[in-house]
Amino acid sequence: MAKNSSARPLMSRIKDNLPIVVISIFSLILFVAIYIEGGNAQIFNTIITGGMWALLAVGLALVFGVMNIPHFAHGESFMIGAYVAYFTFTPMQEYLYTNPNKFLSAIAPLGAILTAGVAGAILGIIIEQLIFAPLRRRTKKDWIMNAFLLTVGISFVLSNGANLVLGPNFRGISRYWDVKAVEIGGAYMSVDRLIAFAISMVTIGALWFFLRRTRVGRAIRAVSQDETGAQLVGINLNFIQTLTFSLATAMASISGASLLFLFQAYPTVGGTPLYYAWYVVMMAGLGNVVGAIIGGFIVALLQTATQLFVAVSWTTVLPTVVMILVLLIAPSGIFGSEVKGVQEQ
Amino acid sequence: MNSGKVAQEQSNSWNKFVEFINKLGFNPLGLALLIIIAVLPTTTPYFQQEYIVRWMIMGAFLAAQSIAFDFTSGYINIVNFGFAALLGVGAYASGIFANTTPFIAVAPGLNPWITIWLGAIVAGLVGFALGILTLRLRGIFAAVMAWFLGIALMGLVNNWTALTRGPLGMNPRKFLETTNNLPYFYIIFTMMIGIYITLKLVTRSHYGLAFKAIGQNLDAARASGINPIRYLVFNFTLSAFFAGFLGGFYAHYFGSLTPSTLMHTSKTVEILAIAYIGGRGSLWGGIAVAFPFVFLIELLRTNFSDLPGLHLVIYGVLMIVIMIYYPGGLAGFYDWIKSKVQRK
Repeated sequence: MAKNSSARPLMSRIKDNLPIVVISIFSLILFVAIYIEGGNAQIFNTIITGGMWALLAVGLALVFGVMNIPHFAHGESFMIGAYVAYFTFTPMQEYLYTNPNKFLSAIAPLGAILTAGVAGAILGIIIEQLIFAPLRRRTKKDWIMNAFLLTVGISFVLSNGANLVLGPNFRGISRYWDVKAVEIGGAYMSVDRLIAFAISMVTIGALWFFLRRTRVGRAIRAVSQDETGAQLVGINLNFIQTLTFSLATAMASISGASLLFLFQAYPTVGGTPLYYAWYVVMMAGLGNVVGAIIGGFIVALLQTATQLFVAVSWTTVLPTVVMILVLLIAPSGIFGSEVKGVQEQ
Repeated sequence: MNSGKVAQEQSNSWNKFVEFINKLGFNPLGLALLIIIAVLPTTTPYFQQEYIVRWMIMGAFLAAQSIAFDFTSGYINIVNFGFAALLGVGAYASGIFANTTPFIAVAPGLNPWITIWLGAIVAGLVGFALGILTLRLRGIFAAVMAWFLGIALMGLVNNWTALTRGPLGMNPRKFLETTNNLPYFYIIFTMMIGIYITLKLVTRSHYGLAFKAIGQNLDAARASGINPIRYLVFNFTLSAFFAGFLGGFYAHYFGSLTPSTLMHTSKTVEILAIAYIGGRGSLWGGIAVAFPFVFLIELLRTNFSDLPGLHLVIYGVLMIVIMIYYPGGLAGFYDWIKSKVQRK
């Protein structure tokens, strides 16, 4: 398709990619409108929000692409990350109050976020081994739907379990780094936000490198293209699937941890991130990792525009209407999804 | 001789009776259990206590919801993730039509017995729209679309404060003046039986076959001459209609509505758990599970009041275990026992 499209006239190329063209124009208009109304501050806000949705959505897309699991408990991984970061960071903070140390107070938040990532990876391994491995052994029939409902159950258990063990209290911190806000282009951005954005970009970059350049990463991509073929060339399917799932969970935990100052930790904190991650993935195309990154920024644009031009409380209503329209025009997302088995289910 | 004839006649009339109730979707055991449930709150002292009657009402309410939910998920294999939102739409519509204290412009103050039907019709219309929207989508896409629509509806109710008072909640008037719970139990019990019989009759007809065919393989169903549009939309509309109908009951029984307690996704998950533990595609499984569950949950809640949400964790774990190891649920187990008995 891509090769011979350069030979064809522009109009027919536009017609072929109508959803992408419409969304691009729409995003551009929103971008300009946000810039005019809110200036640089809102643009930075949008980009930073987009970065975090992208990080969440990439995990979701990866799990769907490789394992065909529509992960509904992704928000709960976010929640676990937030809790772990809270419980590792607050003791460190208290220690640093009594004996101040500049280097340690710069490093401590990163340590907390990293711990959250490790905890997320472990959680992913546990869930995969405890729930999806037995299901895979029993039956592959109706896999997508069964897996989806299982993750619904997991999310229910995790969020209510957190409520049971830790109570409904909000546990949050005001900031990770006790530094003044930085001025960029006339807009003040807190250091926490900038670093959260950097973390999400670095994580996505690392994942990109891992998938493209390493042996195991190639094996993951091979499994996402053809499970049987991958098995034939000697790839250990169980290992790859467990690894993928724990990677995705770890990424959600990292974003939960790095956004602790914004969201706080409480049992149902995962709801909003889950909604936006799903939103991105549905719009970009299920299982499309690159699409998820771009989609994250488009969704952030929509969100900022709604907040700016309508009201904060409408952010769940108006973007959803846009989403429904997108799904009506392009049922498998604007960038399409080349995942096997999606359309048959 | 004579006594044999009488016995034969008796067994004949018994067979006729079984045949008749079979047509309505019952078997003798199930009917007997339902009758026991129906008479319990009037006969046994334990069940006459007000709070126990409230539990029974909750049980019947959840059971009726799971029947309407299973009608979609168990037959056409699309999980309606916006079910609770549809129920909320029915509840709010009914409450608004019935309102006599006009904090809003639209308050005709109709009788709740009429508005419950209006609420059901409004929810049915939303269900119709949802059916149209999900036509081109399959499986997981349709479920997520329904989820998004549910979130959008909840956001709408939260924001349309002129009509719904948003998060403050509205207080629709009750069906009856009495504070006694018993009449409400019989209202919801009748609704539950009515919904069950209606949906059972629909699924027994050629509609049920078409639903199952669509649920198993849409393309094959289309190839054998089934028009999926008609059946899908019909299914969504009917399921949403009954969801709204039950929402109307909720509105005029509890007399207080807030979007987050009524329309949140976690409410759908509760119904999903009950319907799946009861058994997909059985309709009755939800009834069999809901009543014992409500008692179990309420007993847990009163005995372990320091552990909030324990019952929800148990719900979730049970659902996961059943989905992995016993996907047939209770109804599958019953069929298995039945086939064992018949073979002997």
